[in-house]
Amino acid sequence: MSSLPDLVSTRSRGRLADEAFRIASLLAGLAILVVLVLIAVTMLHSAWPAFREAGLSFFTSREWVPNEGKFGALAFIFGTGVVATIAVAVAVPISVGIALFVTEVAPTRLRVVVVSVMDLLAGIPSVVFGLWGILVLAPNIVDVYDAVSRGVNPIPVLSELFNGTQTGRSFFTAGLILAVMITPIITSVTREVFATVPRNDKDGALALGATRWEMVKGVVFPHSVGGMVGATMLGLGRAMGETIAVALVVGSTPQITANLFSSGDTMPSVIAFQFGEAAGTHRAALVALGVTLFAMTIVVNVAARMIVGRVDLRMRGAV
Amino acid sequence: MKTRVVALVIASAILISACSSKDPKSPSAAAGSPSSNYAKLSATLNASGSTFQAALEEAAKAGFLEVAPKVTVNYGGGGSGKGKTDLQGQVVDFAGSDSLIKPEDKPLYKGGDVLYFPIAAAPITLAYQLDGVSKLNLSADTIAKIFEAQITKWDDPAIKADNPDATLPSTPIVAVHRAEGSGTTSNFTGFLTKAAPTAWTLGKGDTVNWPSSTQAGAGNQGVAQLIGNGTGTLKGTNGAIGYVDFADAKATNLKTASIKNAAGKFIAPSLAGVAAALDQTTPAADLTYDPLNAAGDATYPIATPTWILVYKNQTDKAKGEALKGFLNFLLTDGQALNEPANYAKLPAKYRTLAIAQLKSLVIPA
Amino acid sequence: MSTAAIPAPSLQATDTSRSRKLRNHLATGFIWATFLAAALPLAFIVFYVVRAGMRLFSYDFLVTNIPIISAQPGPGMAPAVVGTLLITGAATAIAVPLGVLGAVYLNEYGRRGALATFIRLMTDVMSGVPSVVMGLFIYTIWVLRYGLSGFAGALALACLMLPIIVRTSEEMLRLVPAGLREASAALGCRTWRTTVRIVLPAALPGIVSGAMLAVARAAGETAPLLFTIGVVSKPNTSLFGANTALSAQIFKNAQVPFPAAQDRAWAAALTLILLVFVLTLAARVVSARFARK
Repeated sequence: MSSLPDLVSTRSRGRLADEAFRIASLLAGLAILVVLVLIAVTMLHSAWPAFREAGLSFFTSREWVPNEGKFGALAFIFGTGVVATIAVAVAVPISVGIALFVTEVAPTRLRVVVVSVMDLLAGIPSVVFGLWGILVLAPNIVDVYDAVSRGVNPIPVLSELFNGTQTGRSFFTAGLILAVMITPIITSVTREVFATVPRNDKDGALALGATRWEMVKGVVFPHSVGGMVGATMLGLGRAMGETIAVALVVGSTPQITANLFSSGDTMPSVIAFQFGEAAGTHRAALVALGVTLFAMTIVVNVAARMIVGRVDLRMRGAV
Repeated sequence: MKTRVVALVIASAILISACSSKDPKSPSAAAGSPSSNYAKLSATLNASGSTFQAALEEAAKAGFLEVAPKVTVNYGGGGSGKGKTDLQGQVVDFAGSDSLIKPEDKPLYKGGDVLYFPIAAAPITLAYQLDGVSKLNLSADTIAKIFEAQITKWDDPAIKADNPDATLPSTPIVAVHRAEGSGTTSNFTGFLTKAAPTAWTLGKGDTVNWPSSTQAGAGNQGVAQLIGNGTGTLKGTNGAIGYVDFADAKATNLKTASIKNAAGKFIAPSLAGVAAALDQTTPAADLTYDPLNAAGDATYPIATPTWILVYKNQTDKAKGEALKGFLNFLLTDGQALNEPANYAKLPAKYRTLAIAQLKSLVIPA
Repeated sequence: MSTAAIPAPSLQATDTSRSRKLRNHLATGFIWATFLAAALPLAFIVFYVVRAGMRLFSYDFLVTNIPIISAQPGPGMAPAVVGTLLITGAATAIAVPLGVLGAVYLNEYGRRGALATFIRLMTDVMSGVPSVVMGLFIYTIWVLRYGLSGFAGALALACLMLPIIVRTSEEMLRLVPAGLREASAALGCRTWRTTVRIVLPAALPGIVSGAMLAVARAAGETAPLLFTIGVVSKPNTSLFGANTALSAQIFKNAQVPFPAAQDRAWAAALTLILLVFVLTLAARVVSARFARK
């Protein structure tokens, strides 16, 4: 009979290694906190001169003239908001449709194809989208925009929104490209949420004679509202922070206008283009834009996670 | 596991072969006396700045590489504003700029005094794309009003007054300017301030407060891309007009307008027109000069200077020597590269002064 | 008992009204349309990139230097290829060990504790930081002090990858059955030994696959590199000193009017897409093949 393992000596020998490992992993975990704190502190420190000089007018003024020391971010906040809204407005119906496609409509083999297509789309780098946007989409979409503008000319509100373009680089072009980019993430989260709908409820609806669409409307959607909202907000957060693809096609013309076909500018894109040459207060103002953007995306992302997280917990209990 | 090993092997293969990478065939520099001094120089020089001189920098890099194979020059462009900012933080070894350092910015330059070395001059063209119009005359007042968005269509009376014989379509005008801080902008607006003082109200500077109905391009090349010539990938925009350096306008096959000079004549952009402007101008003691709207019948009014900015006190011996060699090359044998690259050569008096200034570079022993 | 009168119930499909059927068909049609709406742009873009990129893409393209005269036609993005591989590799070497170790803390030690929950929340916050802000951050704390370098770019990319790796690794660790840990503890193994010898190997395929996806994302990033790496025209195999990357070159060439430069941009885009594709495929293969064991 073999002797029992010697537990006493193992304990003292292994304790040091265990402590060391625990501390190492704790430090790694804290690294994230450290980096975040560093980001917040250094950015606020660099941005402070601009905030101090411009005061509240940083957020309310639309005049951005570095040469004269005027730094009003309103036009960029507006631009970021408009582009992200267009992106979400276009992407959400498509993403929900694809999620439904995968969970309800598609035959099994096609399901794998769709998921692969989504993965591929998610993997294409943003700069490639930007390259295609600036060299292919923008020049060729001018005619489309002009046709639309002519078409809606008599209609009151729409004629303000779609009022002609100069070069094709515009809020709308940027929004379109962003929509393609955020579709994968919205689709993936929505798909997960749809997958948690209890089978029984769905089968029950069908058994009662509902068509598939009625089942979706009556069972899947109500169940998933929270999750869909969360997914939309995740997409919104991603769209607000996207830099390169937007920078190339939005036109770099800060302005506040109702015309979605006109050129504009967004916070990340002006940072990308002007930071290289900026000095002194100009640089501080750009960092201040970065801080503003960061704050906005934090709020959106945390809210999104909370909503999706709550849905997740609820589902686990239900199933 | 296997996938990872294979990927690693492929990556290493690419890395190893790239290390011994090939150089594409580049056009040989004009024949100059190969100086054995150049061959001993060895350093990497990082630079950024003016896109106006970018085409010349490329030609100079290629030419210098042939006589000083161990010197690598990395020119990052980004606009005169970027060059000056990078030089302030000593992030680059020299900066290309078409505009001067503002007196209030001088304390920001960490390395002390900055020297200006003129290397070339060239026209800023008013490049445009307009179906059916191949010849265009513009006066400074008209240009000012176009870029202030007061003239919005091509058949405006002011443009017709400059071009009595032309038939102009009623296409809307798309005015294109620079998105970032640019010495080209500074010179263009400087010209308008001098030649159209009442019509031009936006002042002079690396950036000005352009009207929001105008378009912005990044770099001289970005503006050229927006204007375009209507063919293939260079489709651009019909009705667009913007200010682009001569080299890029030619390389993109853009149509350019003839500008009315101080003597009242409409002159097409050309190196001869710039040479005439340079002859009328005298450089200051620090080698800065202003050839805009110079007198003379044959002068092109928007002749633009461009300089290389370096710190007088160099901190690194190898880099300092390489920099001195590069500047010397640009001012002597390298001048032969100017005209093929579409830049005007410096007149003798500028070159002499610049070569003399080279001696005041302080290089550690 | 009378056998007449009561008709047998009809077991045929109920007659759904016309309008309900129509709505159902419309909805199904819409759903199919949305799939096309996503697949078509993807097909357009990939097709265009492949067609335009194939003009220059070749082995030569990967090993020839960038022509000094940018308007001059000719292949070559060697410095960018080297730069992308080097910078992304360095970023991976920084982010993966740190991220996996952090995930180990979250799942094995911290679990539901206050600190661990807080770290998880902060990880989500960090994954939402716009990439340009990361670039600004590294510029402020590193480049201003030590200059432009590939290493600075790698730091910025590592900051982007870290939250993704922590999150995916933690999920993979969570999937390892508790029974394995308990059995190992019962046999006298300390936590660190259990984690290193049992849990990590079990979660490894998932962790590797998650890491590869993070690498794929980092390889395509441009904004963090804009202010941190500078530019070179010859390959730089050292992390120190300026460097360039495929994404940065594409961004630059997208804004010039020279067909030659644009061709190089398309070929570089093709290279990037292939790189991302290979990594994503490898990630799938790894997770599928080993998960079965």
